[in-house]
Amino acid sequence: MGLLAVNRIYAAITALVLAFVVLPLGAVIWVSFFANRILSFPATGYTLDWYARAWQLDSFRNGFITSVETALVAVALSLALGVPASLALVRYRFPGRDAIQTLLLSPMVVPGIVGGAALFMAFIELEILLDVDISGTLPGLFVAHGLIALPWTVRLVTASLVGMSPSYEEAAQSLGAGRLTTFFRVTLPIIKPGIVAAALFSFVISFIDLEKSIFLVGPGRTTLQIALVSYLEWNLDSTVAAVATVQILIIGVLLLVSDRYARLSRAF
Amino acid sequence: MTSSASSGATAPVATTSPPAPSGREGRRLAPAYGLTAPATIFVLVALMGPLALMFRYSLNRFVPGQMMVEALTLDNYARFFADSFYQEVLGTTLWISALSTLLCLVAGFPVAYFLVRQASDKWKGRLLLLIVLPLLMGNAVRTAAWMVILGDKGLFNAVIGAVGLSPVKLMYTPTAVVIGLVSVLLPFMIVTLQSVIEGIDANLESAAQSLGASHLTVLWRVVLPLALPGILAGTMLCFILSMNAYATPVLIGGPSFHMMAPTVYQQVAKAMNWPFGAALAFVLMAVTLVLTTTANVLVQRRYRRWSE
Repeated sequence: MGLLAVNRIYAAITALVLAFVVLPLGAVIWVSFFANRILSFPATGYTLDWYARAWQLDSFRNGFITSVETALVAVALSLALGVPASLALVRYRFPGRDAIQTLLLSPMVVPGIVGGAALFMAFIELEILLDVDISGTLPGLFVAHGLIALPWTVRLVTASLVGMSPSYEEAAQSLGAGRLTTFFRVTLPIIKPGIVAAALFSFVISFIDLEKSIFLVGPGRTTLQIALVSYLEWNLDSTVAAVATVQILIIGVLLLVSDRYARLSRAF
Repeated sequence: MTSSASSGATAPVATTSPPAPSGREGRRLAPAYGLTAPATIFVLVALMGPLALMFRYSLNRFVPGQMMVEALTLDNYARFFADSFYQEVLGTTLWISALSTLLCLVAGFPVAYFLVRQASDKWKGRLLLLIVLPLLMGNAVRTAAWMVILGDKGLFNAVIGAVGLSPVKLMYTPTAVVIGLVSVLLPFMIVTLQSVIEGIDANLESAAQSLGASHLTVLWRVVLPLALPGILAGTMLCFILSMNAYATPVLIGGPSFHMMAPTVYQQVAKAMNWPFGAALAFVLMAVTLVLTTTANVLVQRRYRRWSE
């Protein structure tokens, strides 16, 4: 077999695999414009009505709002906790450092369903103990989503800190800057790309979470992913395709922006 | 729980050690604990505590009507291994995961190899982005997309109908679940393999080739042994993710198709049988951990023999 033929085979397999991964998303976008009342092929015409209908459905509109709120809080929480922790993990060598690093990355490796079930039980116990609602409330979701976002923030921010020479910070400190001044005037501007990428990525990771949230949503307090899944259990129509298309668009933009700051494929 | 298996695949960046501290250690270490404390406490309280609580609950007894009675029993675990229904659920989860992982490896390896050895840097970046993007669209959206294609009146049946073939029942079959899972897992496999193949010196391949080895021989005798750690990491990552899959089995597999993660959800949130649901969750994690650790040990032994 000639070298050229071998190369062609690899290129062909790559094209097929890409099609397999990307085309389904194309199909769902296409279908969202179908005029057919019941989803079928081929299209009898094209319309934008499904987008209006999707926004009129309470479950999708409220789910979208809840998801955005939750994701914003998750970003804030994961940055507030994750940036200082990353700084310590990279700049100091201290007893227990490896253990803390493993712990902070662990929410990523504990299966979502398992972590969600455990948090659900803990919330209910706490409710009985304190006599307040937690499960099915926004604060409960915030905690779960902060947990989902934290390991990604730690990973992206430590990566950008590793790439930054500590000599800048040492120079600032030897010139008399305090720790806080050094952080805000020297460290932060240099690692800003890592932080922006971490924020965008955390937002996406929280927004698309399904497995943890499914235990923690309550009546009237549902994230968009849960709304999508419960809708899909009974119907498949162009309304859901319209919601999916909007989601693909939003996440696509966020990820393309975040890829400018830190290579996405390296986050995995 | 599964950290030992996937950390190799997923955390290459964060493991770099900082330079050793110079002098004044006592004073310099205090801020390190201050800075990590909030995040550490958060993960302990929101993840480790609840996991410990759930493990304790798995030893409790379930009494219908009053939810849970304090006990110290292994009944819930015994019930899992005595009930053929749950064994079948575990069996289905295992073979579906094994098959999906294998397909990911077979389809992912050529793609990773192509990206590293044949694509230009510019195209490699673009293609990787194209491979990773769908991954982050969310399980709900990706599953909806597959439902559009695989449904009885879906795109696939419309296309084969147009060329005169009779429609195929795909939705609610294990085949459809495997298709859905492979599309979720492939990007993980490709990204993992790509980073490992990147580290293999291309000169080794040219050397083998110039000595007369065919391309397949080069792959089998040079690339594959060197890429083994990455193959192992990617395989484990895919296997773990697929063992824990939720959306795909529920929506594409349908109501009578059972895998472990949806069963955990059903028991904990719907049947409100916490002790048994908790036991199911720990069985799932334990089985996954034992299998991935065994695979790790076996492959590593093999690897040592190869590299001798």
